[in-house]
Amino acid sequence: MSRLAQHLLLVLLGGVTLRVSLSEAYLAYVQAGFRPLLVAAGAVVLAVGLLGLVRDRPGRDAGPGQAHEHGGPRVAWLLLAPVAVLLVVAPGPLGAFTAQRQTAPVSAPPPGDVPLGIGPDDPGESWRTMTLAGYSVRTQQSDTAPLRDRRIRLVGFLSPRDGGGWYVTRIRIACCAADALAVRVVLEGPDADELLAGRSADDWVEVVGTYAPSREHPTLGYPEPVLDPDAVATVPAPVDGYED
Amino acid sequence: MSGPPDLGLRPSRGSGLDRGRGGGTRSTDVLVVALLAVVAARFLLPGAFDAPALRAWATVFVAVCLQALPFLVLGVGLSAAIGTLVPPSFFARALPRRPALAVPVAGAAGLVLPGCECASVPVAGSLVRRGVTPAAALAFLLSAPAVNPVVLVATAVAFPGDPEMVLARFLASMAVAVTMGWLWSAFGRGEWLRMPARSVHEAGGHRAAAFLGAVQHDLVHAGGYLVVGGLTAATLNVVVPREWLDAVAAEPVLAVLVLAALAVVLAICSEADAFVAAGLTSFSLTARLVFLVVGPAVDVKLIALQAGTFGSRFAVRFAPVTLVVAIAAGSLVGWWLL
Repeated sequence: MSRLAQHLLLVLLGGVTLRVSLSEAYLAYVQAGFRPLLVAAGAVVLAVGLLGLVRDRPGRDAGPGQAHEHGGPRVAWLLLAPVAVLLVVAPGPLGAFTAQRQTAPVSAPPPGDVPLGIGPDDPGESWRTMTLAGYSVRTQQSDTAPLRDRRIRLVGFLSPRDGGGWYVTRIRIACCAADALAVRVVLEGPDADELLAGRSADDWVEVVGTYAPSREHPTLGYPEPVLDPDAVATVPAPVDGYED
Repeated sequence: MSGPPDLGLRPSRGSGLDRGRGGGTRSTDVLVVALLAVVAARFLLPGAFDAPALRAWATVFVAVCLQALPFLVLGVGLSAAIGTLVPPSFFARALPRRPALAVPVAGAAGLVLPGCECASVPVAGSLVRRGVTPAAALAFLLSAPAVNPVVLVATAVAFPGDPEMVLARFLASMAVAVTMGWLWSAFGRGEWLRMPARSVHEAGGHRAAAFLGAVQHDLVHAGGYLVVGGLTAATLNVVVPREWLDAVAAEPVLAVLVLAALAVVLAICSEADAFVAAGLTSFSLTARLVFLVVGPAVDVKLIALQAGTFGSRFAVRFAPVTLVVAIAAGSLVGWWLL
């Protein structure tokens, strides 16, 4: 690979990285706090490519320190792959496909735990909004009294449950989308089928409902948190689809 | 110069022409054609990339590349700074002359580089180029991503209920680094190391020009191998069913081996792997320690980066031995401390 092609590749890679990190698109791939590092890295890569183009511009004398005969490695061509994937596919946040593959049981609190409360209702509402992880952990406590007789609101996308029915789902990422883990709450109760009719996987919804005892995972047998829904509404996908 | 391993992805046949003066036009032409194809695909095939599996694969692939890029840039910058600003005699004076002593000193030096493995590979490469004995450079290569302060703090945050995990990780990773350094000084052969030729800043130009040349060279080189790792990790992430993993967590020995294998194929940054390990709640603490010790020492992305920096003859020997040593160190320390 010639030096000119290397410069152009770095300009492309840096430019695409800057574009992704200066818009909201980067939130599909990494944590929000990672943005400054991405912007800095994109800017450096872009600058290295541009400086290279300026130094090697046609008609400029090759100085004694410049080894034009030295070509770059063939593997460098692969740098085109992330650029092409970002420009052509522009993949969004992970969704129901990943949720079905990347799940883990909710970690059970240690024996003798002090039950966590859930706090007061949202201002002016008759429910409490919770994260899926926060709700799931509380359903596994030795004492679920804080959840009883409360209406709880969860926001997430729908993913199908083995053997029928739906989960409301969020993906959690620790660092980047490669370590994604899904948090899922079974939507089950007298009104669930009616409320969820006609919806499909990856639809974003807000669900208001009440606590119900956990159910066994259809094949693996570990307990899955359940919410008995009394209202389901379509909501737009949030800017940052991952749950902290 | 040893060619990189044939990856089966060679855009232009007969790309021997890429080197030499005529290469300028040729590889630039290929680049332009490839970009035109990208633009054409963007507009002519909308909806061709909507399959959920493909989109999930693309998201993970891009995520691995973006996550690693800042650390790669940092490592490449440090490496170029060492290569152009630090006189070659410095390390020879700073490190003990005898490799047996230089190895632990270099391993301890890994405590201060806050980068992940993508950063430490080019830095170790430049250390060897500066005349540091390879055994010491390899000890540094293994310890820097595993025991630096950022990683240890991340581990403490990820395991709030198990503070001994931090100590166990530190001891096991340091043991791997020092053992591998000593093994190399006892059995390693210089001919296994094939450092890519770097004529640019040997030629005695201005320092700034030499620095820029080194950064550019390492960026396209290590960056290309990083993409190999990203492609591998994304493909395995989308292909291997997670249920397989849950089924083996119950078997102690199998769990250790499976988490070691998982660390190799997932190729997670060492600053993030503690959070992933914390999520693998069905596995024992020892198995998760092995995951944390193996990950920064040997994974698909690292093997690719090492093959690019030190040559593939080195990588095929170094990676398997490191894997065995890391599994042994993680299991022993876990059995002792956890």
